[in-house]
Amino acid sequence: MVDLREHERKTLSALKKLSGKASLEQIMNESGLSDSAVMRAAITLHERKLLKIIEEKQALATLSEEGKSYARKGLPERRMIDTLKKLSGEAPLETVVEKAGLEDQFVPIALGWIQRKKWAALDSKTKTLRISEKIGEGSDERLLKILGEKGQAVVEDLGSELQETVQILKGRKLLDVEQKTRRIIEITDAGLAATKKGTRVAAEVTQLTPELIISGKWRKAKLQKYNIAAQGGNTWLGKKHPYLQFLDEVREKLVALGFKEMTGTAVETAFFNFDALYTPQGHPAREPSGCYYVKSPKHGSVNAYKQVLANVKATHESGWKTGSSGWRYKYSTKEAGRLVLRSHTTCLSARTLLGRDLEIPGMYFSIGPCYRPEVLDKTHLTEFNQVEGIVVDKDLTLRDLLGVLEKFAIDIAGADKAKFVPDYFPFTEPSVELRAYKKGFGWIEFGGSGIFRPEVTLPLGIDVPVLAWGLGIDRLFMLKAGIDDIRQLFTLNLDWLRRKEVT
Amino acid sequence: MPTIDIDYAEFEKLLGLELHRDLEKVSEVLEFVKGEVKLWDEKADVMSVEINDTSRPDVWNIEGLARTLRGFLGLETGLKEYRVGKPIVEIFVDERLATIRPYIGCSIIKGVRLSDPIIRGFMHMQDKLDQSYGRNRQRTSIGLYDFDLIKSPLTYGVAKPTEISFVPLGCEEKMNLKQILQKHPKGIEYGHIVNKHPVYPILLDAERKVLSFPPVINSSDLGRITDQTRNVLVEVTGTMNETVLNTVKIVTLSLIDRGGKAYAAKVHYPKEQAPVVTPSFEVGSMDLDVEYVNKVSGLRFTAKQIVELLSKAGYRAEKVGGDCVRVHVPCYRVDVMHPVDLVEDVTIAYGYNNIKPLWRRLPTTGGMRLEQALVDTARELMVGLGFQEVLTYTLTNPDNLFSKMNVKRGKVVELANPKVQTLTCLRSWLLPSLMEFLSNNLSVEYPQRIFELGKVTLLDEKRETGTRDEDWLAAVVSHANAGFSEIKSNLDAFFMNLGLKWQIKEAKHPSFIDGRVGTAIVEGTSVGILGEINPQVLMKWKLENPAAGFELNMQKIAKTKHKPTA
Repeated sequence: MVDLREHERKTLSALKKLSGKASLEQIMNESGLSDSAVMRAAITLHERKLLKIIEEKQALATLSEEGKSYARKGLPERRMIDTLKKLSGEAPLETVVEKAGLEDQFVPIALGWIQRKKWAALDSKTKTLRISEKIGEGSDERLLKILGEKGQAVVEDLGSELQETVQILKGRKLLDVEQKTRRIIEITDAGLAATKKGTRVAAEVTQLTPELIISGKWRKAKLQKYNIAAQGGNTWLGKKHPYLQFLDEVREKLVALGFKEMTGTAVETAFFNFDALYTPQGHPAREPSGCYYVKSPKHGSVNAYKQVLANVKATHESGWKTGSSGWRYKYSTKEAGRLVLRSHTTCLSARTLLGRDLEIPGMYFSIGPCYRPEVLDKTHLTEFNQVEGIVVDKDLTLRDLLGVLEKFAIDIAGADKAKFVPDYFPFTEPSVELRAYKKGFGWIEFGGSGIFRPEVTLPLGIDVPVLAWGLGIDRLFMLKAGIDDIRQLFTLNLDWLRRKEVT
Repeated sequence: MPTIDIDYAEFEKLLGLELHRDLEKVSEVLEFVKGEVKLWDEKADVMSVEINDTSRPDVWNIEGLARTLRGFLGLETGLKEYRVGKPIVEIFVDERLATIRPYIGCSIIKGVRLSDPIIRGFMHMQDKLDQSYGRNRQRTSIGLYDFDLIKSPLTYGVAKPTEISFVPLGCEEKMNLKQILQKHPKGIEYGHIVNKHPVYPILLDAERKVLSFPPVINSSDLGRITDQTRNVLVEVTGTMNETVLNTVKIVTLSLIDRGGKAYAAKVHYPKEQAPVVTPSFEVGSMDLDVEYVNKVSGLRFTAKQIVELLSKAGYRAEKVGGDCVRVHVPCYRVDVMHPVDLVEDVTIAYGYNNIKPLWRRLPTTGGMRLEQALVDTARELMVGLGFQEVLTYTLTNPDNLFSKMNVKRGKVVELANPKVQTLTCLRSWLLPSLMEFLSNNLSVEYPQRIFELGKVTLLDEKRETGTRDEDWLAAVVSHANAGFSEIKSNLDAFFMNLGLKWQIKEAKHPSFIDGRVGTAIVEGTSVGILGEINPQVLMKWKLENPAAGFELNMQKIAKTKHKPTA
């Protein structure tokens, strides 16, 4: 006698009934157990060498849309030949096509197969079809019928002739073949012997129930010991997206440093995205290869900024009162209203400087999507998030800018030290790149910054220095999360998100 | 940003300093010109250097780069004087070019010794200037010629498409201008710049030999320089006079740095009285207040220090009056527009890392945007309900937004110049993004429960940008038994925990199953929709499991709350 648990006994006897070999589904149906119960029992029985779990690769054939329609209506060559039969075996091709109701695109297919199957001959001069004597049901039609009825078939289960036919129909794109893994459970000799010798179900209780507790029966029952190392089911809990959570932390740190959040829209006028930031209208960043333009409406409104617009225009053209020579070209007011998808969030800083609520001293930041026409690859996204902002106060200097940057490197990137490298932006001078050093990470480019040029601030009516900064937080997140492909930030891989540890 | 290929051996030679091919040292040196080594082909001994500074075409070539770096490294400080000899070529410009490509500049450099790496460098410089500074030859394009084969005066004129034939560079047979535009690779690439005009620009010498068909291609006979060429003619045509003149200047200086002596050309424009002489190496000047330098930098420089630092940056400067410095700006510094540009050079020469950072905590109060509190609460609740947060692009396509959701095509913000076919517009709702997410995870364990709280963009004529952005929230559950009651109980829990009073009213929406879809009403306002996804929609996304979801407008929910929890 072999001691088995209830589920194990049921599984084994079901397997025996199913002639010793069956799929998980078959055993579930036969035994009335759930899939996890069968699987658990099978694993234990497998460990006790009473059965074997075999993984089999199998090819599953299913009809394509076209295949399904042929399964219903018949192959086009069959429809053609049936029509020809009705027309007493010989008729002009045109008539056959018309009577068969074949769509134009199927005529060459039908004709090709009729000739290949030698069902009829086409006289090339008279364009007449003449039926041949033998027209049997082909294996292709048999397979079509089987698949039409069952919906799908395991290729390995088909006869050798039909297996070849699968390839033919696949070539005609009438069916798809998909590779799947199937678990087969097979009873072993030992298992068979055990069922013959008889099994004994141990008087063990699997599930402790309310009834057992209330009645006190649990005292007498023997609670079954579990294989606690066995793989249980998965629990996937709800959690935040790791990248968004990282952005939340950055936001909180900036707020703690005294920064106020600015917001805006994805669609922006070229005026705020470029002009107000002293980026000339012929600048490469404004070409279709550098910036997304909106198809409709093409233009927004800059009417609310008449005076500022005039200042900006004069600054671009000849420097206005800024002490600059300007870009020296003819500025187009119409172009200022052109709508774009913002290519950076610096446009929000320009709007804030112009806003009625601007506080001096003031510290501002924004986090939001920006858009540039890049081809997506390991290091480029066409839509990405920027964290940037400004510090406004009288008497701010380059030293203050470096102070802010160093603060970011240490407080936000958790860096050990920072260094500064000359950089370039059309709207800042001096411009500084921030590099942060963190043990284990090395030097990373962590930000671009500068002091807004007088050509930016004065036209907006700001006569105090404005420190502008942007942080390269994507790179930092990627290092922290151990990913090397920036596309992973917008991953569609649920499994990765589920398994990603929370930091 | 221009990336320029630098022959390392040539670089060291021009720089006059050995860096032993040490990447760290080279990188440190290149920081002075805002350059970064992107690639180093050790076999060819060529570095690809990206120059961040898009306003300084003078450093987009090996000679200019070395010239500037020699100053910062203290190897050759001060303003480098360049001279040009009197005009030895004249050019007559046809008035019909006024609406096509009106400007031309030219110089002749005699006595250059050219080697293969030097010629490659010039070709590369020509390419970079044409691309970036010349906006892909739209604004300017450069031609280099063997001067010994050319007879002055030149004619910068026009020709009908089939009027003139010549052998273009890269070909062996004569072609007329029309054939060049149709067949020659450069004609195909740049033809669009001129082909809308009935006549095309053409540059001819005194014997009517063709120099080039600007801005498309040079002649194979005259427009080619080799290691045998001693005297080079540089020509630049374009639509902006200043850019044309700057380009001639920059190319000429490189050739002078290679040991040549420059001569000018005289350009006669129609109707103009005095001819224009190119190139001009005129030095500019600008006054710089010591106080201004210190106000911007936060340092305490003396006039003397400023003079010295400017000298390293390639300027000549002298103290004038009490606290002012007169700065002589080299002719190639086309980027200097304002005294602040000089301040940057002073600080770069001083060294950014020699400046002590100063952190002053300003008396400001930090704060998140008003909507953020509710957004955060909503995300916390969704997580508590067992949903995985996802992040998808706000860029999508109308097929996803409408046809795959079984709804009529509506108006959205579409891009005029999409880069890929799948990202052509901004999303106007979130559920399609979640359906796309599900369809990418068919083989991942079910049940799947996901949500996204993100931006949607809606057309709004009343706004400056013609649009408004809103925070919306969408969630979907999908598994073999997913259905309306599950999503409704989730939504109920969500609303209850936000402290709202809500009700669900019957609705019609083709993305959902009829009779299993409702509108969520809070304080009399419809704030969103919930329901069981229509199998037609599931099919379109190739989903095999039932799904149910909701989508809410967080902006509307915020308004129904008396006060957003700040």
